[in-house]
Amino acid sequence: MAVQIDRPPGPGQSEQADPAVAEKLSDPRWAWAAYQPDASRPWNLARAAHLHRRAAFGATWGRLQQTLSDGPQPAVGKLLRPKADTAAFNRKYDEYETSAAAVDALRAWWLRRIIQTPHPLMEKMTLFWHSHFATNAAKVKNARLMQRNIQLLRSQALKSFRSMLEGIRRDPAMLLWLGADASRKALPNESFARTLMETFTLGPGRYTKKDVREAARAFTGWFVLRGRLRYIPREHDAGVKQILGQKGSFTGNDVVRIVLEQPATARTLVRKLYRWLICETEQPTTRLITPLAESFARDYDILKLIETMLRSNLFFSPLAYRRRIKCPVEFALGIIKGLEGVVSTTQLARDLANLGQNLYHPPTENGWTGGRHWINSATLTGRHNLALALLSSSGPYANKLNPWPLAKKHGSSTPESAMKLLLDLFLQTDLDPKVYDTLLKTARAQNGLVGGSDQEIVRRSAHAIITLPEFHLA
Amino acid sequence: MFCNNRPRTSVVSEKLAAILLLAAFALPTTMAAQALPPAAQWIPKDAVISLELSRPKALLDLLTGKKATTAITASPIYQRQVSTPKFEELLNLIRFLEATLETDWRTGLAKLTGGGITLAVCPQDIVLLIVDAEDEQMLQRLHEIFLSIARSEAEKKGQPDSVASTQYKDITAWTFDGKEAHAIIGKRLVIANRPEGLKAVLELRDKAKNETMASNPAYQAAKQEAGPDAVATAFANLKPLMQIPGIARLFEEQPKNPLAALIFAGIIESLRDSSRLALALHLEDGTLILRASADGKTVGPASPAAFALPKKPGDGVFPNLSVPRRIAAMSLYRDLHQFYAAKDDLFPERTSGLIFFENMMGIFFSGRDLTTEVLAETRPEVRLVAAEQKYDPAIGTPQTKLPAFAVIFRLRNAEQFDIVVEEAWQKAVGLINFTRGQQAMPGLIIDRPIHNDTKFTVAYFSIVDIEDKTKLDQRFNFRPALATPGDYLILSSTDGLAQDLIDALNREMERPVKPLAKTHSMVEVDGGQLASILQTNHQTLVRGDMIKKGSTQEDAESGIDMLIGLVKCLERARLSIGTHRGLTKARLEIKLNLH
Repeated sequence: MAVQIDRPPGPGQSEQADPAVAEKLSDPRWAWAAYQPDASRPWNLARAAHLHRRAAFGATWGRLQQTLSDGPQPAVGKLLRPKADTAAFNRKYDEYETSAAAVDALRAWWLRRIIQTPHPLMEKMTLFWHSHFATNAAKVKNARLMQRNIQLLRSQALKSFRSMLEGIRRDPAMLLWLGADASRKALPNESFARTLMETFTLGPGRYTKKDVREAARAFTGWFVLRGRLRYIPREHDAGVKQILGQKGSFTGNDVVRIVLEQPATARTLVRKLYRWLICETEQPTTRLITPLAESFARDYDILKLIETMLRSNLFFSPLAYRRRIKCPVEFALGIIKGLEGVVSTTQLARDLANLGQNLYHPPTENGWTGGRHWINSATLTGRHNLALALLSSSGPYANKLNPWPLAKKHGSSTPESAMKLLLDLFLQTDLDPKVYDTLLKTARAQNGLVGGSDQEIVRRSAHAIITLPEFHLA
Repeated sequence: MFCNNRPRTSVVSEKLAAILLLAAFALPTTMAAQALPPAAQWIPKDAVISLELSRPKALLDLLTGKKATTAITASPIYQRQVSTPKFEELLNLIRFLEATLETDWRTGLAKLTGGGITLAVCPQDIVLLIVDAEDEQMLQRLHEIFLSIARSEAEKKGQPDSVASTQYKDITAWTFDGKEAHAIIGKRLVIANRPEGLKAVLELRDKAKNETMASNPAYQAAKQEAGPDAVATAFANLKPLMQIPGIARLFEEQPKNPLAALIFAGIIESLRDSSRLALALHLEDGTLILRASADGKTVGPASPAAFALPKKPGDGVFPNLSVPRRIAAMSLYRDLHQFYAAKDDLFPERTSGLIFFENMMGIFFSGRDLTTEVLAETRPEVRLVAAEQKYDPAIGTPQTKLPAFAVIFRLRNAEQFDIVVEEAWQKAVGLINFTRGQQAMPGLIIDRPIHNDTKFTVAYFSIVDIEDKTKLDQRFNFRPALATPGDYLILSSTDGLAQDLIDALNREMERPVKPLAKTHSMVEVDGGQLASILQTNHQTLVRGDMIKKGSTQEDAESGIDMLIGLVKCLERARLSIGTHRGLTKARLEIKLNLH
């Protein structure tokens, strides 16, 4: 059995109240500098698991141990640039997806891809962009177009935001979803131009209605006909337009260039990524965001931006630790990855939809709101039931996830030691010591009692752990 | 507790099934030379289900004969399994048993089960298995072997002896794991899933015959119906079974689905009225024939389900139509006019889907009343056919290859009604095209070609602008067609199947066939063709399995191969259901392909 953690507490509890740490974190130079462990901020299982919750969808026990042994910066490096042949893996899954005649099957293949990918950060970011460039299949009604939409997001998820935006503006699924599948000179369609400025780049209040109208003129001539993007030159308004202070006979490409030149675009995206990767409970100060936004605006290199965030002192600080509510995909995949199984993703996609995250069907142009919106009495009960179903020996996920053999594989010999392992795997040091002790006592008390086999005891323990409030936090 | 020295754990749980069948064959018994009564006399009277294989050898000859064995060992699934350690372990065990018992496995199995096998399910979840061997010595030797194996397995694992025995009157009862219990009485092996079950059997030996299942009049009637030549018989006491919530719901609820009400008419009603279900398996010229009968009365002429009852003595379904690459076919005797006229009784819950259907029919048939002016135009002959498609290379091949399917009606006044149907059909195609057009999707093009002097209508998607014709969309599985040869009306998902059906119906019109009197439903499945379409869609099925079950690709392939292998073993199956002397009768014929 591998490294055990000191208990209690973890970074969320020990350093949180430290005023010196808080002061340092407000300084962008220190906040974005690469984290180096020291006595007050040790590299431990809690931080390793934090990295995998944010930059992946959780991790196996073996992977956590490897990450601990690698140290923080090499571990981040592995997540950013894994040695495995991700391209070959994605080619194989792209081929699998071509057999999916309906979007339901695409949802299932994506979840399976997330479970098995050698590059989980790429899928994590694809999920982020899927909410940012929200496109709902219910309106698109074409599985192939939706497949290409997600492929586009995946292909650029860690590359260039500029390329992604250029791809999105030519993406038939996006145009169909926004009702922008026919934009004529006589009647420019404003919906893409508005969404581009409001949601994809600048953010609310940073453009005028006139900017939208003029940009819409620049996008005229583009149509989606029989599932294909077509440009009809005679329908393009070649006249002079004035957009965000610039004047010219602009085309769609020019509009993309102009919005990317606005400092607000980089700031909006950095803030959004900050919320995704670092913290969603507190808004970052402009001072904190500015250096990252300025750097991002130079080349819109997503990987570079994410690398800075993931390697930073801020990322490994109490300000980031367990400061996000897991979306349903993160919640379920965290269990599945941790327990090293592959489940029916057709069923999982349905269950996640019931929890509010229907892949390929973000609810609005703004994607999923996230945060506290993920949790209400219905979804909390739903998460509880899903956890139970995932661990069950019957039903749609029957025996696909079995914590007892897993615990034995990692050296546990009793339900009590299995409970310790599962606590370390899923929650690390984040439990109130009283809760921790109560859980251990319960497992100990169940051991050897009539309450069922060891397997059942460990299943029940695992369920108790993954339905604790702490597990819902990323 | 029935057995003393009850073991704590099962040592041989994985091999239990094999052991249970082969185990208790070595007990010394005082009844060795005594003739045993039929096994049914050792089964409690309140047994809910019983299955008797009275001639197991006949089945063994069929299923384990050289032809079948050659077919199985040549199959890819067998070839894949044969290299696995578990399979190797099983083969080693069989080889060991063959050597020890000085016989080959076929002969051994025949000698050990030749007297018959009886399985019974009794109240309180008790399951009994009674196996009558022909060779008592072999039975005893085998039991000893398994006792030794169980003990040495326990020793190897450092566990206490898992085998336990106890004496009950003159009989020694054994258990391997403290849960099952078994005993050998003469040539007979009795196994129960619980000690109480075995105890009940042993006590029945001394009781009067009228307390056993053999004295149950319903069982006796079922046996009599099966006849002496039956290879196997099964009997189910339906009354207790219908107390099971799931089954009760199935029989009590009004059908919500009109299609289910249409297809299963008469069958559900008859079973609901039955107290027993009897099945008899016969083997005739290599074909397995399963006859089922229930004692529930068939529905009366006043019943809402009477639309499925042949009206006159000679009435019944027509034989299924034969077309190339046929996968399955169904022939139904259903008076659609009477069916829809009784809709308020048959499915009182009017769903929005049904109302939509009626509204659309009103549009398609220009305001004609669906019951009296449309369905009344059809005769009570409904035939359905599903066949594998043959794709035109000039058009291309869809990635997922769906079977073509068609429904065939017979019209009362074809000359007047043909044109009404044609109009409705073209309206439907027009509506589809309009709806697809609203979504900027390609529509169907209508054509009216002629096939063997029959003009028919086909609607198809154009392939213009499609570059890769090897992976066409699913819509290219459909070329909906309407044809009206003679009195018949064909609605087919493809023109290819429509043409084949025109030919089949022309043949039938040239040589009229008689209906199968008193049969109201008949289904046929062609195993080879079904296996063929499964094989054609192998990759799609494997991928579907991966995401539906969370399987690895290898496991999914293995499962699908297994399914295809099993389907290949079925040459054809035919199920016909009808009435005979006021009772519902079913006949299932299964021709296995073991060549």
